[in-house]
Amino acid sequence: MTEGHNTVSEDDLHAYVDGALGPRERLRIEQWLEQNPAQAEEVRQWRAQAVELRAHFAGYARSDAGDRALLLANGSERPQQNPAKDARSFAGIARAVAAGLALFVAGGLTGLYAPTLLPTDREIQPIAAADSLPRQAQSAFLVYASEVRHAVEVGADDQTHLATWLGKRLDHPLSIPDLSSLGFSLVGGRLLPVNGRAGAMFMYEDGTGRRLTVLLGRNDDNRETSFRIDSTDGVETFYWIDGPIGYAVTGEVPRDLLQQVADECYRQFEKSEATKS
Amino acid sequence: MSQSRNGDGEGAGEHPASDRFEEDVLALVPALRRYARCLVRSDPDGEDLLQDCVEKVLSRRAQWRGVNLRAWAFTIMTNLGRNRHRYVTMHPQVALDEDLGLQAEDHESDPLERSRLERALNGLSTENRSVLMLVVIEGYRYQDVAEMMAIPIGTVMSRLSRARRQLAEAMKDDNVISMRRPK
Repeated sequence: MTEGHNTVSEDDLHAYVDGALGPRERLRIEQWLEQNPAQAEEVRQWRAQAVELRAHFAGYARSDAGDRALLLANGSERPQQNPAKDARSFAGIARAVAAGLALFVAGGLTGLYAPTLLPTDREIQPIAAADSLPRQAQSAFLVYASEVRHAVEVGADDQTHLATWLGKRLDHPLSIPDLSSLGFSLVGGRLLPVNGRAGAMFMYEDGTGRRLTVLLGRNDDNRETSFRIDSTDGVETFYWIDGPIGYAVTGEVPRDLLQQVADECYRQFEKSEATKS
Repeated sequence: MSQSRNGDGEGAGEHPASDRFEEDVLALVPALRRYARCLVRSDPDGEDLLQDCVEKVLSRRAQWRGVNLRAWAFTIMTNLGRNRHRYVTMHPQVALDEDLGLQAEDHESDPLERSRLERALNGLSTENRSVLMLVVIEGYRYQDVAEMMAIPIGTVMSRLSRARRQLAEAMKDDNVISMRRPK
């Protein structure tokens, strides 16, 4: 190796572009780039991108007269919605209208989007019974994890009611797992269809807003499975079937963390089964 | 009845109309507004995300550890942006408003160039996009980004690399308007 000239890694190139290197390292990279025109071109593109991106977004870093109102808008004073759940703000309305218009135009031009012309509501549609448990769990996660104000029907402050209500609908006594040891607190829960029957979903959230869902649904064939994992587009689901109930834990978190959550849920569900029977 | 809204028990009455924490948040709003817009596809979406983020920051103040409010707020924004992006990906028609002239701002640069860049950005996954924006726009160090996103630094580097390459590629052959993110 001559003076380390052969040891420029791609990480070094990024660090060079991002100004994260000291003068000596910079010099080393510059010398190396002179010998490596392809990489030099790439570095040039990355720098140009950075300049363009900064210019593109610079105008947004501004204060608005309405900023203080953002602080007051917390909770009750924020205009609450009407039946169209997406229309929770002016921006939401504008977006919904715009989306409708765009669809109309796109549909008119190509006919391609005609089937989606009907505005999709954020209410979850009953999921086809043929869909498997992990698919349904992922759909529910994708739909409800994006909801800020309507992620759940009953909040964590009414846990006893939540457990009783969903347990009754599920026709299975229910205890809500406590995941605080893993840094996730309960947001709340909601009723939703699983395999065409009433199912229950609990949502959890950590201090930074990462969310997880725990889904329970009736399992009519009454079999059991081991833990299984299903991963689609970065959304991971651990699921298992335990007699009359199927369970699915879903999140976009590292798999080992999700596994710990699944283990914890399993342990707690088992325990509550044991004390009830 | 929805009981979920104020589940954090952080009663508004407990605090005077405005306090130190709220002033600090207010001072962060311009930076948060920019970062919000970096993560979404249109100005209204950016304002919407900003509003969600400020609301969440205020309602979660009890969980703030007292250091680096900015990084904490950015982490919350990153997660909100990711949650939102998943929804948009599932319902791609929502993303079309970028082309409807909803841009409220008066930008000097060439609108064609702007929409070209926007389209290229919209082809990035939200994870790669977040990393790129935190590094390039917000100037965070790789280690900071790793901590904020709770991912290893190697993942930060690979996301940054993917984002840069993909963006360069998309800017090169800008002839596809992608409405649906390919699998």
